[in-house]
Amino acid sequence: MPASILYHCTCTSVPSSSVIGAPPAPFTAPPPQHPLHAFGFHPLPTLYFCEECDDVSGYYCPNCLFEVPSASVRAEKNRCARNCFLCPQCSNTLSIVSSDPPLNPDNRHPPVINSVGDPPFFLYCNYCRWDSAEAGITFDKPTGLALQLQKTEDSSPDTLEFDRLKEHFEPLIRISHVQPTAITAHTIQTHSHSALSAINAAASSALARDVPGLRRKRVDPNAAKDEYGAYYRSRIDSISGGGEVHAEVEWLKDMAQEEFLLGDVSRLEQRWVGSWVQSLKSIDLKPLRIPLHSKQTKRCPKCRHILIKPEQKSQSTRYKIKLMAANYLPSIDVLLVPPLTAQPSATLSRATGGKAKQSGAAADDANAGQALQQGKTYAFQLAFTNPLYEPIQVRMTVQRPQSKQGKRAPFAVSLPTSSFSISAFAEAWEYDDEEDAEINDDDIEDMLAGRGTDGSLAARDSGKKGASNSTVGVLERKANVTKVGGEVVIGRESDGNVQFNVLVSYTYRADDPTEETGSSAAPKTAVSGGGENKTFSFYIVVDLGTISPAS
Amino acid sequence: MAPIKDRFTIHSKAVVCQDVDLRGEITIGSGTVVHPKATIFAITGPIVIGANCIIEEAVIIINRKKEVMRIGDENLFEIGCRVECPSIGDFNTISTRARVHYTLRLTSYCVIGAGCLVVLPEEEVLEEHTVIYGPASERRVWSGRGHIQELDLRRKHSEYLRETLPKFNRLRRGDGA
Repeated sequence: MPASILYHCTCTSVPSSSVIGAPPAPFTAPPPQHPLHAFGFHPLPTLYFCEECDDVSGYYCPNCLFEVPSASVRAEKNRCARNCFLCPQCSNTLSIVSSDPPLNPDNRHPPVINSVGDPPFFLYCNYCRWDSAEAGITFDKPTGLALQLQKTEDSSPDTLEFDRLKEHFEPLIRISHVQPTAITAHTIQTHSHSALSAINAAASSALARDVPGLRRKRVDPNAAKDEYGAYYRSRIDSISGGGEVHAEVEWLKDMAQEEFLLGDVSRLEQRWVGSWVQSLKSIDLKPLRIPLHSKQTKRCPKCRHILIKPEQKSQSTRYKIKLMAANYLPSIDVLLVPPLTAQPSATLSRATGGKAKQSGAAADDANAGQALQQGKTYAFQLAFTNPLYEPIQVRMTVQRPQSKQGKRAPFAVSLPTSSFSISAFAEAWEYDDEEDAEINDDDIEDMLAGRGTDGSLAARDSGKKGASNSTVGVLERKANVTKVGGEVVIGRESDGNVQFNVLVSYTYRADDPTEETGSSAAPKTAVSGGGENKTFSFYIVVDLGTISPAS
Repeated sequence: MAPIKDRFTIHSKAVVCQDVDLRGEITIGSGTVVHPKATIFAITGPIVIGANCIIEEAVIIINRKKEVMRIGDENLFEIGCRVECPSIGDFNTISTRARVHYTLRLTSYCVIGAGCLVVLPEEEVLEEHTVIYGPASERRVWSGRGHIQELDLRRKHSEYLRETLPKFNRLRRGDGA
C-alpha cells in the first residue's frame, strides 16, 4: 500500500460546549489506535476551508437538465415532471421509441420505415433492452408522457394512502403550530414530539386492524385516540389485498418446482424504490420517473460563511464562490525512500547537481509495493507545496505513538522540529531565472557542509539551504515546494500500520486587512503578532504502510 | 507448428481497409466493412465472415480452434471488442470493449453490452434475443421489439460506411480479385 497523507477536520467531532463565544477546549487529534481515528481524517481535495453541509441551491433533472423551481419540486414529489424515466432493470435512462412498422406479408420488399414513427410508442432502455410494453405501458403520442401516465399514477394505492395521510395530519399540524409561538430549541423538540406521537398513534391503529385468521384480543378503539381526539384508520384493508398475496405465493411455489429463472424475480434494489409493497415478478416492474438531483451550497458551521456556491444553471459545473482547503493549506505529499543502505548513492547524485527528486523517484520505483520491514530504518520525504502568494513558515510536531500494554512503541519517528520556510506560489515563467542561481547555491553548500551527522536545523535559519544530515531536515527548495526529510525506525517486534499524527502549523503574513479571520478546519486558530501574522494549525496523519513480518 | 498461410478471399463488394491486420485463411462476404486497425487472426483455423457485417476499429477476432469460425450476416462489432466465439449467427451486436470467451456460441439477435466480460466455464450456446448487460454481465431476454428499425438502421450504417470509407482510406483487395 503506497504511503499517503490525510488531513484532520473537526467535522465529525462533537463540540465540547454549546455556548457561543466560549473558547474551544484544547484539542488533540485522536491517535491512530483510537476508534474515532478513521472518521476524522480526509484527503485534501475533499476539504473546504471550513466545513458543513447545508442549503440546497437548486434542483435539476440529471437527464433533461431542466431546472425545476423549488416550489414545484414538492408538487412533483422530487421527480422530473417531463418525459424522463428510469429503467427498472438497469437504472439507465429510457428513451421513447415507436413500434416496428407492420411487416409486409410477402416479405420481399423491406418494410417502409416511417420517420415519425408508428404508434403505439413505448419506453425503451438502450442498455438492457427492456421496454415498457413488457410492463404494459404504451403511449399514443411520443410527447407529453407525464400527462399520459398521470392517471395511472394517481390511482395507485400508495398515492391514495399518502393523500389520506396528508388530509388526516394537516389539521393536527395546524393545531400544534398555533400553540407554541416563540421558536426555541425546546419548542421545536416538543413540536416534533407531538407530531411523532400522532404518527405513532396512526401506526398503532393501522397495526390494530383486523387480520383474517388471527385471533386477537379486542382492542378498544377508544384507546387508540391520541391527545388530539382523533385517530386514523387506514382505508386499505389487508383482506382486499389477500387475493394478490396468495397468487404471488403460489407463483413462488411453482417456481421452486419448475425451472427457475433468476431474471423472473425482481431484485431488492429494483423494488425498494417504491414505497408500497410491490409484486415480486420482474414483469411487473414499472418505469420510474427520474429523481431530481440538487446542487448544494455549503456553509461553515461556526461562522455561517458560504463556502461553496454553484452556479444556477444546471449545465455549468462551475462555482460562484469556492473556498477550497487546497487553496489555503499547504499540500503535503509523502515519499518513502528505500532503507539506509541505498542512501549514499542517492545523496551522491544529489550533490553532483542532479535533481533530488529523480533519485528519490528511481529508488522508490524499485521499492514500490514493498512493505516495511522490522528492525530497519526508513527515510521518507514530505513535500510541502505552498498555494498562497505569500511565503509561509511551517513547523511540525509529531504526536508520539502510544505504546499499548506496556510494550515498547512500535516505531519512532524523527522529523525536523524547527520551522522552515516555503516560498510563495508564482506563475511558472517567473521562476526561470531564479532556478539556475538556486541550484548552484545548493550544490556549493552541500559540498561545503558535507554530510555531517548534525540533524538539527536550529542553527540554520530560513533562506539557507540546509543539508547537514542527508535524511532529516530540509532537503530541497524549489519554487513553492519544499522537501523535508524524516526518519522512522521500526522496532524489531512490531507489526501493524506505521501511522502517526503530525501537528502542522504554518504562519504567513497577511497584507490584506480585509482577509477573513473566520475559524478554519483546524481546531486551533491563534492570531499571533499584531494582527498581521496569521497562524493556522492542523493535524495530518501520515501513513507509511504496513510492517511486514520478517521472513 | 506450421507457419500460418495467409489466404484472403475478399468479396468485391466488401470494403476492407489497408491497415487491417489479417492472418491466416480468411473469407469476407459481400458488403462487409472492416475499419482500419482491426485485427483478424485465423491462427489455428479459418474464419468466414458473412455479408454486411461491420467490424470497427481495434476489434480483435481470433479463432483458437481448428474448426471453421463462422460469423453470420449483419453483425456489428463495435470498437475495441475482442471476440473468440467459434460461431456467431446473424444480426448480433457486440458493444464497445466487450470481451467474449471462446466457450460461448452466439445465435442471432444477441446483444453483448459495452465492457461486458463474458467468460463461461463450459460450452454454452446463447439463445436468440439474449442481452448481456451491466458490470456483472447479467443477462435477460429481449422481446425483439424494435428489431426492424434496428435492422434498417444497421443497413443504413453499413451503406454509409461503404460510401465514405474508400474516400479516406486505402483499400485492400483480396488475392483472387
